[in-house]
Order: sequence, then structure tokens, then C-alpha cells
Amino acid sequence: MSMTNATDVTSNRLVPKKFFGTWFLHILLACMSLGLALPFAWMVLTSFKPLTEVQSESWIPTSWQPKNYQEVFSVVPYGRFYCNSLFIAAWVTALQVTTSSLAAFSFSRCKWAGRDKVFMLYLSTMMLPGLVMMIPNYQIMIFLGLVDTYMGLILPAAFSAFGTFLLRQFMLTISSSIDESAEIDGASKWRLFWDIILPLCRPGLITLTIFTFMGNYNSFFWPLVMLKSQERYTLPIGLLFFDSTRGQSTHLMMAAVTMAVIPMIFLFILLQKYLVKGIQMGAVKG
Amino acid sequence: MSTKKNRTFREVATGLGFLTPNILGFLTFTTIPLVFSMIMAFSNWDLKLHNMFKPEASPHFVGFDNFQRLLSNSDFYKYLGNTLFLMMNIPFTIGGSLCCALLLSKDLRGGSKKSAMMIIASATLVASCIMLTLIGMGASAMTLLVCGLGCTFLVGGALGGSTVYRTLFYLPHFTAGVATYLLWKKLYNPRSGPINQTLNPILEQVGGVINSVPSGLIQAGLWLAIILIGAILFMGLKRLNTLWRDGDLGSGAIVLPMFFLMLPSVLACQWFPIQAARYSIAIVGGALLAVTLFMIISSKQEFDCKPSNGFGNALMLCLFLMVIQFVVIGLGIVAYKLPAMAAFTVTNGVSSGGLIAPNWLTEYHWAKPAIMVMGFWGAIGSNNMLLYLAALTNVPGELYEAADIDGASSFQKFWNVTWPQLAPTTFFIVVMAMIGGLQGGFEMARTMTNGGPAGATTTLSFSIYTEGFVTGRLGYSSSFAWVLFAMVFSITMFNWKFGSRYVND
Repeated sequence: MSMTNATDVTSNRLVPKKFFGTWFLHILLACMSLGLALPFAWMVLTSFKPLTEVQSESWIPTSWQPKNYQEVFSVVPYGRFYCNSLFIAAWVTALQVTTSSLAAFSFSRCKWAGRDKVFMLYLSTMMLPGLVMMIPNYQIMIFLGLVDTYMGLILPAAFSAFGTFLLRQFMLTISSSIDESAEIDGASKWRLFWDIILPLCRPGLITLTIFTFMGNYNSFFWPLVMLKSQERYTLPIGLLFFDSTRGQSTHLMMAAVTMAVIPMIFLFILLQKYLVKGIQMGAVKG
Repeated sequence: MSTKKNRTFREVATGLGFLTPNILGFLTFTTIPLVFSMIMAFSNWDLKLHNMFKPEASPHFVGFDNFQRLLSNSDFYKYLGNTLFLMMNIPFTIGGSLCCALLLSKDLRGGSKKSAMMIIASATLVASCIMLTLIGMGASAMTLLVCGLGCTFLVGGALGGSTVYRTLFYLPHFTAGVATYLLWKKLYNPRSGPINQTLNPILEQVGGVINSVPSGLIQAGLWLAIILIGAILFMGLKRLNTLWRDGDLGSGAIVLPMFFLMLPSVLACQWFPIQAARYSIAIVGGALLAVTLFMIISSKQEFDCKPSNGFGNALMLCLFLMVIQFVVIGLGIVAYKLPAMAAFTVTNGVSSGGLIAPNWLTEYHWAKPAIMVMGFWGAIGSNNMLLYLAALTNVPGELYEAADIDGASSFQKFWNVTWPQLAPTTFFIVVMAMIGGLQGGFEMARTMTNGGPAGATTTLSFSIYTEGFVTGRLGYSSSFAWVLFAMVFSITMFNWKFGSRYVND
């Protein structure tokens, strides 16, 4: 389907191509966005309030207190939580993208007996609820002595059937005539993988990187179960800290939440092109 | 010959070589736990009974005991009910996503740059007018803030087109996690949260209105609900009948959808607070069912089809209508009880009562709706919206042209062209949402309510977590997890069996 056709559709479907139709549509969409954004607005505004105003009905603080943000760092080792989250997410992402792209190459570009059966096995595990594996996985972690370590958080997340699936789908879209010409030129499989296929599926790799990174930055269940000592807490677990011990300090909690959310918002705005494409590609084919 | 053998060997070796790192992890963290979990599900492993301080006690096999205990445990059904209750907002979130996608797919630039400039100009004009008036009237900073924010979005949207709105819609979903759940916990706070601070003055007004109106008028809402349910039932049954006559629905496939369609009115017979309402819903439902059965049996099927045909399609339709009926029933009962809730009672000179906003997360009956509202906020602009957007651009333009030639209205175009073309996407989204919904609710329950007042927000996944990691009954929680898997698996099978046929239509 060509691009012109697609735009035709959109303009055709819309009956009012008139000025007021568009105008009305804009107002409607802006109102909807406003409704969705109000919780965020409250979050940011409350994070600047002094403690005495937290209960007040006015959303706007009478005196702005940016030092709430500093206080967050003194109340809990927030910087530490931040670094932990970034460290773990970065390691998981690096490992997962590596292992997934290698496996995806094997599943899409190498010929070996039983390949498709093994792949079906991979796919079928995607259907399993994570909870089924969590309980025995925790016992395995105890057995390996990895409870409450970074390694225990990174390793189980480093191998993913979803990533393999996503990259395999991507690699299948690359024409196999490239393989043949590479083979004629005497390139080894490794050269084919490293010099040709990987650069060609860069968009897929970026998508997987964002998905994995965000997923692990946000991940809650496994760190909750695994982490015991505070210095290894990740951000989501650290945020719970404000909820339990300092129930009254809503302003600090909102400052912490704002700091947790803002990087995600920026990341999304910067990389949304890849994300949107990845969601539409990965999910439609799944 | 030997070189060929050598070559195949080398190919297999390289293939496996590339796979090795992943398959090692796959075996260690997926396959082994899977087998392990299966074994655990049949054992009585309990960390309270079997730990390093009691070396003489060792877990042993108990056969299907865990499953038996689980399925005879009333708590299990309660938690399953909670999960299903929370899943009731799936049709609403999907509907919301579809609306967003439809609005976003429209040509927002108005054809030319000129009109975009006009929009900006008029928006700024309106905004400044509002601001000036408000300042003149001593507007609170709050109103200015809301207006300013709205105008910023408007100007942004006029400049950037639908991408800006798409980003704004998608943000709640993208940031969803512990951070936003904690945010909503504070929003729901009965004293300091903005939701109740906004609601309470409004509810005071509403309560006054309700008190001034004769209570019978509001309680008539219950009867309105009965009429509405009757209309929905009629619509659903008529559609089933049409499908059956056209050969799109087999005789075997019609049974289960019909059951789900009738279920709410059967339950309503128990739930409705007055006897007459119960009888009338029973009569309405029974009459409609009888008429449809008569029509189905007497009308000749015009096209042949297999008994199992069209099952997925009809089931989706009936599940959707079922949820709508449940919502109508709930609203009807609320309408019946509203006058009593709004009435002021004066005891010993202290007036109490009146309509007040609930303590959302700490009240048994309000905790689940509160979580559903939050879920709606997070899900309206989610991946579903993006999928719908992609699907909308793939609808062939000729279909709209043909519809235009036939003089179809825009609603007719949506109903007869867009909606059928989106059917495969909708089916996929519904199935995915159901799978996610069955496994969901853990993070919200853990961060917001801890299972919630008297277990009101404990979903299946949260219950598995507490059994496995808090109570330490590993065997029991493993079997619980496998029961959950069985449910997810049956939905997947349903999708596999009926989804593909539906998609190919």
C-alpha cells in the first residue's frame, strides 16, 4: 500500500474536511490529553510543596521548594537505587540483545535438524505465566547462592524467548540472496552475522534494546523477591520505602516518583519512532 | 560423499554454536524450573515444615492433594472472581483505545498549513481571552494552570499533528509501574488526594439535588436498567439469530455464547433489591429467550455450515454484551440505593450522612472500581491504540470510496467498513488483554492495597505470590500457578482454534 493511498483513506473517512471539524477535533484531543496528563501535573506540583501544604486543596504550592529533591537523596540512598536500576537494566539489555541476536541468527539463517521444533519450544514458553517459573527459579537462586546479588537479578533476565522471536522475525525479512552472495565471496557464517545481518537489523536491535531496558528499569516482581539488603535495591523497590516508613511525606514521595518517571518520558519522546514500529511489528505477527 | 557429510556437520555445528549461549540460559532458567515446578505442584513442600532446622522432615509426593485443596477452597473462587471483575474493564479500555485511534487517524492538519496557523491563532486568542476573564474575576491559579496546560497541548497538537497527541496518550501506559501506582495511591487518598477534594463539593451539590427530588423518581433507575438489559438481550439474541440464519454461526457454537448472554439477567434475579424487579427481569429474560429459541428453531438455516463455525466471533460479542449488562445492573442497584445514601439523618442534633466520596482503596466495594479507573487511565492509549492505528492505515481506500458512492453516513461507514476490517485486530487485542488480565493485578495489589480490604483486590497472581513467597507453601502455590496456566492455555487454545478462522473471513 502506497503512502498516498493511506493519506487518501484518512482524509476521505473524515467527513468534515471543513475548518470547524478540524478545530473541534483539536479541542477534543487536547481535552483528552489534558485529562490524561492531570495526574502527572499534580505529581510535579506536589513535589514542590512544603510539608505543611501537602494536605491543601490548591494544587499550586504557595512557596516553591526545589529542595524537596535534595531531601529525597538524604532520606534514602536514592542515587544508589538509581545506579542499581541503571546498572542492572544495562547489563540485562546487553546480555539479552547478544544472546537473542545469536539465537535468532541460528533460527533464521542456519540449517540444522530439528531447528523449527526447538523454535516452537521457545515460542510455547512465551505463553507460560512468569509466575510458574518464579517459585522454582527462586529455589535455584538459593541453590546457586545468588539471592540478594546483582548476578541473581541479571542472569535469569538475560535470556528471553521474546527477544529471540522478535529478532528472528526481523531477520526473516532480510532476503536470503544476501547469504548466497556472501557465501560465494567466501564469508564465514560469523562474518555473515557480524558484518551483514546485524547491521541490517539495526532497527530491530534498537527496538529490543528499548523494550528490554524499560522492562527491567521498571521490573518489580523479581527484585522484590530477590533483594534483601537496602544497598542493592532498585528504583521500584526503593520507591516502596517512601510508602511504608514515611507515609506522611507525600511531597518527598512525589519528588522521588517524578525523578523516576521523567527519564522514561524523555526516553520515550526521543525513541518513540522505533518503539511504535516495534510494537506494531512484534505484536501483529505474534 | 564425505565432504558433503562434513559440510552438513559443520552447518549443524555452527547453527548450534550460535544457539549455545541462549539455550544454556533457556535450559537453566526456563526448562529446569518448569520441570521442577511441575514436580513441586504434586508435593507438600512447605517452608514452615521443611527447612534446615528440621532435617528429619522431608517433602514428599501427595498426588493431586494440592489441586484438590485449591479447587475446594472458597478463597480461590473469591480471588478468581476478583480477577474476572477487574477484567471487566477490558471492553472499555479497548473501546477507548479504538476511539483514540480513530481520532488520531484523522487528518489533523486540516489539509493545509494555513488552517494549522489559523488553529494556533484562534487557540491563543481563546486562551488569552479565558485567562484575561479569569484574572479579572479573580481566578484561582488552579484554573489558570488547567487552561494553560490545555492550550499548550492544543498548540502543540496544531503544530505537530497527531504525533503529539499520540505521545501524550501513550505516556500513562509507558510510565506505568510502581511509580505511577504510588502516584495514584496518593491521588485516591481520602483526605489529601485531589480526587476526593474535587469530588466532595460536587457530590454535595448532587446530594442536594437528589434530596430535593422524590426518591421514587431516582429509584426508577432500577426499572430503566431492566428495560436496558432487555434491549441489550434483544439486540444480542437478534444478532445471534441473524448469524445463525446466514450460516455464520453453527448450531453447536450458539450454546455457550447464549449462556454468557443470559448469565447477567439470571444473576440479577438474585441481586435486585426488590421482589417485583426480580420477577420482571426473569420474565423479560425468559420471554426474550423463548422467542429467540422459537425463531431459531422455526427459521430455516439458509446456508449450510459446520456446528462449530463462528464460535469465536459470537463468544466475543456475547462476552462484551455480558460486561455491559453487568455494568447496567450495577448502576441500577446504585440508583435504587442512592436516595438512602444521600439522605441526611439527624441523630441527637448531629446530622450525618449525605453523599460523600468513598475512601477508595480502603473500602471493600470501592477498591476494585478504583483500580479499574486507574487501569483505564493507563490502558486507553496503550499498545492497543498503536495496533489499531496501524490497522486503520491498512484498510483499503476503495472500500470507503464505494461507501461514499452509496451515500453512507460516517457512522454507517464505521460500522460496515471500518469495524469489520478491524475485526482481526480486535480479536487479537481481546485475547491478549484476557491473557494479560488473568495474570495481572500483582503490582497494583502489592503497591496500592496489599491485597486490599479483606482480600477485595487480591488477584490470582497476588495470591500465588503470597502463598509462595510470604507463607512459604511452595507446593501449594506451584499447583496454583499451574491452574492459572491452565486458564491462560485454554484462552490461547481458543485463539488458536477460532482466531485464525475468524481472521481469514
